[in-house]
Amino acid sequence: MIIELREFTRVEGNGKAEIVIEDNEVKDVRLKIVEGPRFFELLTLGRHYYDVPDLEARICAICYLSHSVASVLGIERAFGVEVPEEIALLRELGLVGELIESHTLHLYLLVAPDVFGYPDAIRMATKHGELVKEAITIKAFGNRIRELIGGREIHGINVKPGGFGRYPTVEELERVEKESEALLRLAKRAVRLFASLEPYGAQAKHFVATDGYLWGEKIISDEEGAFDYTERIEERSLVYSFAKQSLYKGETFFVGSLARLLLKSEMLTPEAKRLFEEHREKLATGYVSYNNLAQAIELVYALEKANEIAKTLLDRGIEGENVPVEPKEGEGIGYVEAPRGVLIHHYRTDSDGKIAYSNIITPTALNHAMMEVSLLEEARKLYGEVDEQAMIHCLEETVRAFDPCISCSVHLVKL
Amino acid sequence: MTEKLKLGVFELTDCGGCALNLLFLYEKLFDLLEFYEIEEFHMATSLSGGGHYDVALVTGTVSTRRDLDLLKEARNRSEYLIALGTCATHGSVQGSVELPIKEKLKAVYGDEGNPMHALDPKPVVEYVAVDFALPGCPYNKREAFQALIDIAKGIEPVKKDYPVCIECKLNEYECVLVKKGLPCLGPITLGGCNAACIRSGLGCIGCRGPLPGEVNPASEYEILKSKGYDDEYIVRKFKTFARWEP
Repeated sequence: MIIELREFTRVEGNGKAEIVIEDNEVKDVRLKIVEGPRFFELLTLGRHYYDVPDLEARICAICYLSHSVASVLGIERAFGVEVPEEIALLRELGLVGELIESHTLHLYLLVAPDVFGYPDAIRMATKHGELVKEAITIKAFGNRIRELIGGREIHGINVKPGGFGRYPTVEELERVEKESEALLRLAKRAVRLFASLEPYGAQAKHFVATDGYLWGEKIISDEEGAFDYTERIEERSLVYSFAKQSLYKGETFFVGSLARLLLKSEMLTPEAKRLFEEHREKLATGYVSYNNLAQAIELVYALEKANEIAKTLLDRGIEGENVPVEPKEGEGIGYVEAPRGVLIHHYRTDSDGKIAYSNIITPTALNHAMMEVSLLEEARKLYGEVDEQAMIHCLEETVRAFDPCISCSVHLVKL
Repeated sequence: MTEKLKLGVFELTDCGGCALNLLFLYEKLFDLLEFYEIEEFHMATSLSGGGHYDVALVTGTVSTRRDLDLLKEARNRSEYLIALGTCATHGSVQGSVELPIKEKLKAVYGDEGNPMHALDPKPVVEYVAVDFALPGCPYNKREAFQALIDIAKGIEPVKKDYPVCIECKLNEYECVLVKKGLPCLGPITLGGCNAACIRSGLGCIGCRGPLPGEVNPASEYEILKSKGYDDEYIVRKFKTFARWEP
């Protein structure tokens, strides 16, 4: 017998699952990514590097800036371009804005309705209007930062190899500084809300993140040392899904907020660090559902960080100068922490600066196998214990905890 | 107040941005809800209507048989259907990869055939009649808001018919094509984005698709050639968002 979960709601993109029951036992779970393939690597092959980040941004709307930055980093590394601190700080500010926008969407508008027992945030607003209003305010702030750095709320083209099209003004940065401080209080309330929930889903055994907090030169795991993804991460195709699955040294692993906190807590901002320490024991159990709590703590981090970066930039002043980019034959990997985990853009370029090889692995693809394992464990616990509808509801919550971004996951290629 | 209109939002294959952009209306979303009841919108709600829709918004390209079935269902059940965003109106970036679907699948997934029934990505307008097409990658959310309010009030929404250059000039931005020699498709691209990319000092990438009517791509081609861009670069730039004509 097969129990079908209809297409997931309150997640980005189109996916569903099947639970295979044999002899009254849960035998298997298949997570089916039914979103059509999008062939992004094929799209960029042969393209001039200048246009590539704008195209790659379109992989995902929720985290377009992570894709722009990862793409730019991959290209710059292939050409041996290094950017000064100012440009690095502005990119970081953009990623911080994206974290704010994305985490708020996920926590308040997609997950909170489960917590309060509503089908969606709009209906939740009738009783919890304040919370929905808070969400809208924080989210709009995150988007304003994305617009400032990326050029548009969605799919901006302002982030370029070597710098930006347009640099922010002093007034714009002052506004970021002021608003981030004002919103911090709201984010702390979110931490209290998500800390109160019972854990569900599987416990992750391995965690992977970039070696810097929001991007890195390499990736790290809970085991020894920094490494390139090609060394320990393998992908495989499935017949029942448009997304591939990745394994870390042959085992499932987790990327995302929980992984970042557990592997890099020493890089957190003061208040976020304090909150992490307060909840460390809980988070260290590795239950995937604690990714929600981890995101709430990261929301505090992101608001503190936005404030800190704005202050730093205001103190040192903005020069607004791009670094010259000379195309050459090369190879580069951009590692970025998208809001939902490690994002990899790997390119080889030819001497004209055209893309000769491209491989992109998104966080949802990296988490795909872990999601499936989590559903299997959850289904085994619940099958026969609760009625089918209740089980399906819990399984949907488990998928949601990964904050999957299904659209991004469906175009992986090795050429 | 009269009964609210029933609204359905249907996502085919895309980046999720066109659905997300509706949530980015923020407080204005609640203004829309004065006129509309959201019956179906899987990114935002666990409810699903399955009934009749006064207005259906369809985003994304038809990239699988599932997408095609969903599109037909949306069309059959709705009074007024809007193809929303450049994927739905022109195919956008995923529609621009010019290889047969079998070869693309082989390059990406190896030799497993096509068990999930992938189709060559095409815009919604290739398969069904639409009542209104609103391009943009992403579309301008103010424009979408206005269209929905117009429909609720029984007014046919206005179609834009001018190039990006008009809005660029109104904003008094410097012409990046002439002054900086940047590749800018503004002269041949449908306006309505308020020249968002030129605001960043960069060229229009053509995400709203070609300007219908008396547009002059040949002249744009000559200008780009004179600025030093080669044939292949220009052709790929032209075809990035609109391999398929509307």
